[in-house]
Amino acid sequence: MSEAAIIERVLESGSADRDEELLFASMSWGVRLAVGWMFIVIFLATFAAWIPFVRDPNYLFGLFEGYDNNAGPSRKFWLGTDSIARDNFARLVYGARVSLTVGSVAVACGLVVGGFLGSLVGFYRGKAEAITMALVDVVLAFPGLVLLLVMVSITQKRSLFVISLVVGLLSIPPYTRVARANALSVTNREYVEAARAIGTRPMRILVREVIPNVIPSLIAYALIAAAFIMVLEGSLAFLGLSVQPPTATWGQMIFQARSDMRLSVWPVVYPSAALVFTVLSLNIIGDWLRQRNATRSAAI
Amino acid sequence: MRRKWSKLLGLLLVFGLIAAACGDSGGDDATATTAEQGAAETTAAPTTAAATSTTISDAVTSTEAPVAGPSYGGRVTVGLEAEAPGLRPWEDACSSPCRNMMVNIYDKLFEISNTFEPVGWLATDIAPNADFTVWVMNLREGVQFHNGKDFNAQTVADMFPIQQTGAISGGILAAAGVVDIQATGDFEVTYTLGAGNSAFPAHLTGRGLGTVFDPELALSDPDGYAQNPVGTGPFIMANRDIDNETLLVRNDNYWMTDEQGNSLPYLDEIAFRPIPDEGTRLSSLISGTVNAMQTLRQGTIRDAREADGLTLFEFQGNNVGGGQFNTLVPPYDDKRVRKGLTHLNNQDAVIDALGGTGISLPGSQWFSPDSPWYSEAVAAAWPQFDIPAGTALIQEYVDDPARSDGKAVGESIDVELSCPPDPTLIAAMQVIEAVWTSTGLVNVELTQFDQATHINMSLGVDTGFVGTHGAHCWRWSSDDDPSTFLNTAFAAPTPAIAEEFGVPFSAVNFPNYWDPEMFGWLVEAVKTDDFAERYALYEMVMMRFADEVPVWYSGHTATAIGVTEGIIGVSGWVTPDGVLGAGTPGAEGRWHFVQITDG
Repeated sequence: MSEAAIIERVLESGSADRDEELLFASMSWGVRLAVGWMFIVIFLATFAAWIPFVRDPNYLFGLFEGYDNNAGPSRKFWLGTDSIARDNFARLVYGARVSLTVGSVAVACGLVVGGFLGSLVGFYRGKAEAITMALVDVVLAFPGLVLLLVMVSITQKRSLFVISLVVGLLSIPPYTRVARANALSVTNREYVEAARAIGTRPMRILVREVIPNVIPSLIAYALIAAAFIMVLEGSLAFLGLSVQPPTATWGQMIFQARSDMRLSVWPVVYPSAALVFTVLSLNIIGDWLRQRNATRSAAI
Repeated sequence: MRRKWSKLLGLLLVFGLIAAACGDSGGDDATATTAEQGAAETTAAPTTAAATSTTISDAVTSTEAPVAGPSYGGRVTVGLEAEAPGLRPWEDACSSPCRNMMVNIYDKLFEISNTFEPVGWLATDIAPNADFTVWVMNLREGVQFHNGKDFNAQTVADMFPIQQTGAISGGILAAAGVVDIQATGDFEVTYTLGAGNSAFPAHLTGRGLGTVFDPELALSDPDGYAQNPVGTGPFIMANRDIDNETLLVRNDNYWMTDEQGNSLPYLDEIAFRPIPDEGTRLSSLISGTVNAMQTLRQGTIRDAREADGLTLFEFQGNNVGGGQFNTLVPPYDDKRVRKGLTHLNNQDAVIDALGGTGISLPGSQWFSPDSPWYSEAVAAAWPQFDIPAGTALIQEYVDDPARSDGKAVGESIDVELSCPPDPTLIAAMQVIEAVWTSTGLVNVELTQFDQATHINMSLGVDTGFVGTHGAHCWRWSSDDDPSTFLNTAFAAPTPAIAEEFGVPFSAVNFPNYWDPEMFGWLVEAVKTDDFAERYALYEMVMMRFADEVPVWYSGHTATAIGVTEGIIGVSGWVTPDGVLGAGTPGAEGRWHFVQITDG
């Protein structure tokens, strides 16, 4: 059964259970694995403090209990210990919090501010659009990492809140561009023309007709952008410019473990693999949503 | 539907559990201490062609025997930890990589012997008057610059005005108290000092005052000199490709010969390549991309010891790492806090985090155990790792109604611990943080700043030189005479204090520790050349540190030069008078004695 046909059936059925079943059926195994991975990561990161097998990520088992640094996996330490004998598994789980928080804040800022701004200027056009898009172009012209480095350096103190805020601010321009492009397209659709023809107020058209049709594209983009942001945060952490230690982040785990790579390569491999799987999963899910959305749009 | 989702999740969880179980190395038990591992690494160290190898505990400082030679020709490519932005000895900031280049382009008036005494290089001798205010130095004849100009006493005199205005030399001249330099003969130079300084020759071993450059060229083209330096040294600048490669070629007219009368240097070329990442630099050496490298990181030394086919020239000098407290800022202005936090510094664990177990010795003073200035009494007095003692001191401060930080009785103290963003330093400060916070009396905020910001925070020009630092990672000391670093490091920390006490102001008193009595001892120590007298004074200074704790120590800084097989003579250099040199302090190589053999 083609995806278009599935979507068609979903649209026709009107049944929630049926929707869920067809949604699942439309997922390839790759998408299902990606969703599963993200579920595990989000679950562990969210409930880490209450999960008994996730230990304190900052506790020095070597200093206080005599365990080895850079130890291999064992029953006590599933993923071994790092260079100062902390539990790699616990740090991996807590590190996900930072990546997910930064990614989520970036998505939220982008969706809310960038999405609204882009839809607004794409719908109303005029000078506001020209000025907004010129500003967006200026910001996007800078290499993202360089701009991020500058902003993070200015802030000096680097808490999770500050890093998320900075990344969130930098996420607004690309969302604005995507939202504006979609708003331009939606604005020319027949149903928008029809709404105008019957005298609906422009703001109401924007809120009721344009933005709801821009959101699906933004969400598909958001997942891919979130993956990019996670890599960006990892790069910042690797450069020592993300959240301050001892807070665990994947990038910082890689950064710290590289000095002991000749002793043990695993402390580098675990966070790298987690980052790769997460980014890959978000990309796969984003692609799937984008295709699904395109099929739905075509069907409409 | 629900069943399908359950299957998917179940599969993933099973996969995760299997992966964890398969990796079991049976390591549930706490195993042997890392100190034992470190000792094993030392045993497994590659051979060091050492004539004298001083082994203190499990750390090594090696000095190679002078090689017979000569085996001429060949090229050595040296991997450095950074690029040298400029190569002007009077002007450009210069750390170990830069010194590696400079020492092969320029000659110095004096060098340091393997007994850490200044010994003549371009100078033959130096003698003071009775009160050490006038020093007369004789120079070696027959020395020429790379551009063919002769070196003589007038050269040294003409360098003086340039050094006075130099960003680097200016401060050193002031610290040494030099007020005039005159050529009093063709090869005789007279230094006049503002106050007696018995250790003045030690300043002439340094880069700022002791390195000889062409003053005429320096005046006519100061900017060009930074990248095209001219000295009297064994190698000549051939090509400078910044951030890629600096190529030096043999100075065929070099004035110095080896002990058998063979001309120096032996090598045709040396190339210096900046490879900032420690792991990449070591990999480059192992793979043969470079055939020599320098490092100041204990973790790299540890890894290099394990690599096959390398020869390591390690140096365990006086330089000691650790941290400093800003003693003008609460709560570090209270000795109980400083001493308490120092008692809570587990040196062995910190050294281990730095990768230095079996490489670096724990520090208790500014001198390493093989230094003539080292004091057992100070080592015994230094606050050792002792959690109850440290906790008690901080508790006393916390319970003091007159505590200096203005917090209420019983509230934890706030400490900002800051280091540059190096992985091993970050690991080390997390170890310190863990112990400090384990007392329940200390809130620690860890911060990282790049090296320049880190230094500027301690310099504190904008804050009346008080600085914005709290507890900072830092390094001190060198293998020079103690006066060359201690007298400036603990002069009046702010202009206001300098004015109040009528003493010199020093911008580099980074801990802002001011003790008039101790400063008096430092001044006294350069008024005599009697070693026992001087030793007693420096021992008193170090005892004061052990009591007041303006700084804390982790371990002495082990440095190393690594070379591939067949490269010899790295640390076995001798002075023109046949005195064995200091080897490779600060991973600084004198490549003019290096030769490449067949094997």
